[in-house]
Amino acid sequence: MCLVDIEKSPKLQIACNTRVADGMVVHTTSEKTKAAQRAVLEFLLVNHPIDCPVCDQAGECKLQEYYMDYDRQRSRIPLPEKVHKKKAKPIGPLVILDQERCILCSRCVRFVDEVTHTSELAFYQRGDHVELDLAPGKVLDNPYSGNVVDICPVGTLTNRDFRFRARVWYLERTPSVCGACANGCNIEIYHREGRIFRFQPRKNSDVNQYWMCDAGRMSYRDLQGEGRLLNPFVRRGSEFVRATWESALGQVAGRLGDLARTHGPGAVGIIVSAQAANEEVFLLRRLAARLEARLAGIAWSPPDADHDDFLIKGDKNPNTRGLALQGLTSDAGEILTAAARGDLRALVLHRVDVTRWCDEIAARAALERVPCLVVLDGQQRETVEYADAVLPIASYAESEGTFTNHAGRVQRFQAAVVPPGEARPGWQVLGGLLALLTGEAAPPSAEMAFQALARESAAFRGLSYATLGETGAPAPLVS
Amino acid sequence: MTTEGPRFSEGTLAEYRALLTRYPQRRAALMPTLWLAQREFGWLSLPVMEYVATLMELPLAWVTSVASFYTMYWKEPKGRWHIQLCRNLPCALRGAGAIQVAVERRLGIGDGERTADGRFSLEEVECLASCGTAPVLQVNNTEYHENLTVARALELIERLASP
Repeated sequence: MCLVDIEKSPKLQIACNTRVADGMVVHTTSEKTKAAQRAVLEFLLVNHPIDCPVCDQAGECKLQEYYMDYDRQRSRIPLPEKVHKKKAKPIGPLVILDQERCILCSRCVRFVDEVTHTSELAFYQRGDHVELDLAPGKVLDNPYSGNVVDICPVGTLTNRDFRFRARVWYLERTPSVCGACANGCNIEIYHREGRIFRFQPRKNSDVNQYWMCDAGRMSYRDLQGEGRLLNPFVRRGSEFVRATWESALGQVAGRLGDLARTHGPGAVGIIVSAQAANEEVFLLRRLAARLEARLAGIAWSPPDADHDDFLIKGDKNPNTRGLALQGLTSDAGEILTAAARGDLRALVLHRVDVTRWCDEIAARAALERVPCLVVLDGQQRETVEYADAVLPIASYAESEGTFTNHAGRVQRFQAAVVPPGEARPGWQVLGGLLALLTGEAAPPSAEMAFQALARESAAFRGLSYATLGETGAPAPLVS
Repeated sequence: MTTEGPRFSEGTLAEYRALLTRYPQRRAALMPTLWLAQREFGWLSLPVMEYVATLMELPLAWVTSVASFYTMYWKEPKGRWHIQLCRNLPCALRGAGAIQVAVERRLGIGDGERTADGRFSLEEVECLASCGTAPVLQVNNTEYHENLTVARALELIERLASP
């Protein structure tokens, strides 16, 4: 396809491997060039089934695009005379294979040879019978298998999860960062009408190159599954009643303020997890300062969390480093113990599942004993049963913010979809609480909250959403 | 390496080790190693290719892929006597067609097939590089039969058919 017409050169030359020379005149749109491009495309399409109407790649297919740009002629080979191969053959948990659509570019073969070193895929047979396939009895189930779908220029390898769920031209894309582990792979969230359809990796040479792992790719499902908290709730007597945001925030701020005033320093405890964004952590620190509260961070990962030396980190939190850079200690256990002893008047849990992530007995004792429990979370958790107030907050796909990855790189995520129900971005809820407690104006955006963080904290000094751009920047203290 | 399944004899293993010294990379020795395997085991069954992959420490996909490319690597069992008939022009001009018809009728099998008793299999092949002595057939990759006539070809079959 890159053949070009160079003056004084008898034949067309391949542009990709011809050196520019002084005085060289190159024609890329001459009749000769166009004829060659048409011929190459006709050749690529000789045995292609041209089943675009039922092909999931349509709309993001290089072959389709090139056909429209350079070819636009009828096939001289009638469909029944084309070489037919296997269609819709599942080859792994995430990938399905259509051999007829393959143009034999071998990108996927190179990926499994050179990137994952698993070599599941190869070409079989020869001539126009060549087909992409696995070795007999093998499965494409390496932890990065979904990437072959992204690099396949045609509809040969498609994603079993995404297939037939949406035409890509109906989807919107929002740049973001995967929150499934501490690596912070850059992604694009594909969404439509408030629903997320898929994650795809976005190029970042410093973090994930062009790739992401399958677990991260599929983690979009955790963001919009069942069990999301939809409305603010407050306990009134023995009843749990739905409240407006105004009333819930007012009650929580009033209660926390009163308790802090009455009982002095250390009466309030705040625990935040590394699922929270830098902006949320910053606002929680301000809240803790105002209430003279104890503040601790927690970064929990399942005990069997997998990791490798490529992209998958054993730490399944997107912002563990961010917590550390803001000086948060990890003594959540001490706060729980204090609460269980009766030394704590109020406990604020921000994106923390203490009954699962901390010592369960200590956690339950704390939750039962503490007179005022405020839960800020996106997910329905057991802590909600003990809560005096529940404030539903948005996931990272529904709000703006930044995570600091394992290497100390600060990266932005942006709101792709609106939060479910009445849930609000965490920075907005915390800003609202702070405003009520201090009388100062709440930060109008996550960006302004980050600006305040960058002003105040040496670890983030000089950074702004503008300098972070779409691929992030190392925190100054780290670099 | 598993103890069950196909394994090279000591002699073939020695040949394999000598092969490795001829190439800068082990992968490059794959084709001659498959050739050794075909000689040793008669044809390249999946267990044989798995054995070669394990022996050479190469992904199975590389081994099966290469084997699938070449028709001279046999992916199904052949007869005790595998008869390859040249179908190119010089042999055809000298009567190869009639010889093929006669042999096929005698054995009751066609191109790519094997007799029920497993004694014979037939295969049409491209030039065997002996046009000067056409028509030509080859038995078991090892012996040439040249200047054939229908009678001489059938005589050969009878000789091979007798136990």
